Amino acid sequence: MKSITGLSTITPTLIAEHLTKVIGDRTIVDDVSFEIFQGEVFGFLGPNGAGKTTTIRMLVGLIKPTAGRVIICGHDVRRDFEKAMRCIGCIVETPDLYRFMSGRENLAHFARMLGVDARDIERVASLVNLEHRLDQRVGTYSLGMRQRLGIAQALLGHPKLLILDEPANGLDPAGIREIRELLRRLARDEAMSVFVSSHLLAEIELTCDRVAIIHKGRILRAGPVRDLISKRRAMEFRVSDTARAAEIIGNGTTIEGDRVIVPIEESAAPPIVAALTGAGIDVYRVAPNKQTLEEMFLEATGGETVG
Amino acid sequence: MLALLQNETLKLLRRRRFAIVLGILTAILLLVSYSQYRILHERAKRNWRAELQERVARAENALRRGRMNPSWARSVRAEIGRLQFYLDHDIDPEKPNVPRFVRTFANVAGFLLLPLLVSVLGSDIVSAENAEGTDKLLLTRPVRRWKILAAKLVTLWMFATLTLICGALISLIVSSAVLPTHGWTEPTFNGFQLAKNAVRIDTVRQLPLWRDALIAYGLEWYALIAVASIALMLSVLFKSSAASIGTMLAALIGGTILTRISPDWTAGKYLFISALPLADYYTGEPPPYDGMTMTFCLLLLAAWAAGAIIVAFTLFTRRDVFG
Repeated sequence: MKSITGLSTITPTLIAEHLTKVIGDRTIVDDVSFEIFQGEVFGFLGPNGAGKTTTIRMLVGLIKPTAGRVIICGHDVRRDFEKAMRCIGCIVETPDLYRFMSGRENLAHFARMLGVDARDIERVASLVNLEHRLDQRVGTYSLGMRQRLGIAQALLGHPKLLILDEPANGLDPAGIREIRELLRRLARDEAMSVFVSSHLLAEIELTCDRVAIIHKGRILRAGPVRDLISKRRAMEFRVSDTARAAEIIGNGTTIEGDRVIVPIEESAAPPIVAALTGAGIDVYRVAPNKQTLEEMFLEATGGETVG
Repeated sequence: MLALLQNETLKLLRRRRFAIVLGILTAILLLVSYSQYRILHERAKRNWRAELQERVARAENALRRGRMNPSWARSVRAEIGRLQFYLDHDIDPEKPNVPRFVRTFANVAGFLLLPLLVSVLGSDIVSAENAEGTDKLLLTRPVRRWKILAAKLVTLWMFATLTLICGALISLIVSSAVLPTHGWTEPTFNGFQLAKNAVRIDTVRQLPLWRDALIAYGLEWYALIAVASIALMLSVLFKSSAASIGTMLAALIGGTILTRISPDWTAGKYLFISALPLADYYTGEPPPYDGMTMTFCLLLLAAWAAGAIIVAFTLFTRRDVFG
């Protein structure tokens, strides 16, 4: 199969082709194309209102695209809905489950729709560490627990593709890390493809292999997270005299508060430290510059805020 | 499909809608049974045999004077026959008893109470999924939308049926506590129709009460299936459960007011509300508009139900699901 982005010739788990949604005279999603391959975690990054959720709703067949199409595991979502949906598990927007039923009843409800048995309920519940609360009413769950239950129902029936909309929402830092590790593990051990949307750069950077950045309904950039970052890799030096340090290091440096930002690889840092201490400047800290993805995003979107 | 029905049944029960319906039915029937019990006590002081004999004598006198047109005479003879039957079998026709209570419930509740309860069950069967956001999960599973809606429709039909059966059973149980229980085989006379200047009796049917009750409940069931189908459509049309229940309520009450206030506006006979009291028309109460035969009413309800189902399925399977 010919690949749109030219990244691979393996059949992708999901192909979104020229997805467009026009409502009235507003174009909410404009010619969005991307592919997700087996075993990778794909990030969909963009501020609120960028068209992330509308795109996801088109991926899972809730909304009919004005133009374009979605192919999941070789099945067109509109023409072969049942076959395409059998390959996916998803959470769209918020993890809304039936609050008047217990966690187990909710999982059983969706398991019946898939035709999978009760053992699978135990499996997915233990994957998200929810076994001990499974018999309580979902109405008594915290948002974090509902998020886990949502992920559990999405994992029912061993889907090939997991689509999660802002899965970090409502989780505490420990919970976010747990989910991140779960997603990485599923991609690695079960060769599952995972689609994660987020407005949090750090989260996407830590979780995903590849990322597409969406803004005002259009994809601005797409590619491996590492590539997007390494293009603008930089190190920061916290020093006693920033002006003199910048002078010594030379071209390309910028000063931010008490730090000097230098666009170099980590391996190029020691000689700079030696030069600075040689010139009598104290170096307090050397660290990778964390804001590279954010800066790139701001640059790409023309400086509009994220999230 | 069986799995989908199981899901919908579970959700309906867990939402406690059916419990509310049973609660309302029990409360109302307790109240009515008590009032019937009071009437029973008051009638005990009266000599009903003497009253009946006097009515028979008056009718016979009128017949003997013979200035009656033939069809009127026939209906009077039928009435004498009926009263005489009660006298012969020592049955007080106006004394409250369990069979009459259960039989009357079909007519009285069929016209507003039961349609209302069925719309309470049905009006949020789709809109609640939308309001609670669960439709996003329900519609992204490998089941086509029409199958999901079909499961909801069948579930609603089942519960409409169950509501009617429970109504009959509750009225039976509650009234058995305070009223005499015999009388299932006493005759009933239904189907009096007004001809030009007299009551037509060639249309009158004489049936034992239990069979008459079965027919009345059967007609009522037919009407409730139509109401359930319309409730499903409203639930698809409106996003909020309150809006769909409210619309159904307004239609039921508004339609009733309309048929009472403007009986001259004959287009009103095409409203589904006009055809809803099927059991009343069967008993012999004249429908509000001319030309509303039983066949017309049955076809009209079928047409409304079919229309509602078509609209519901067309919308539900095609529309975009936003948050």
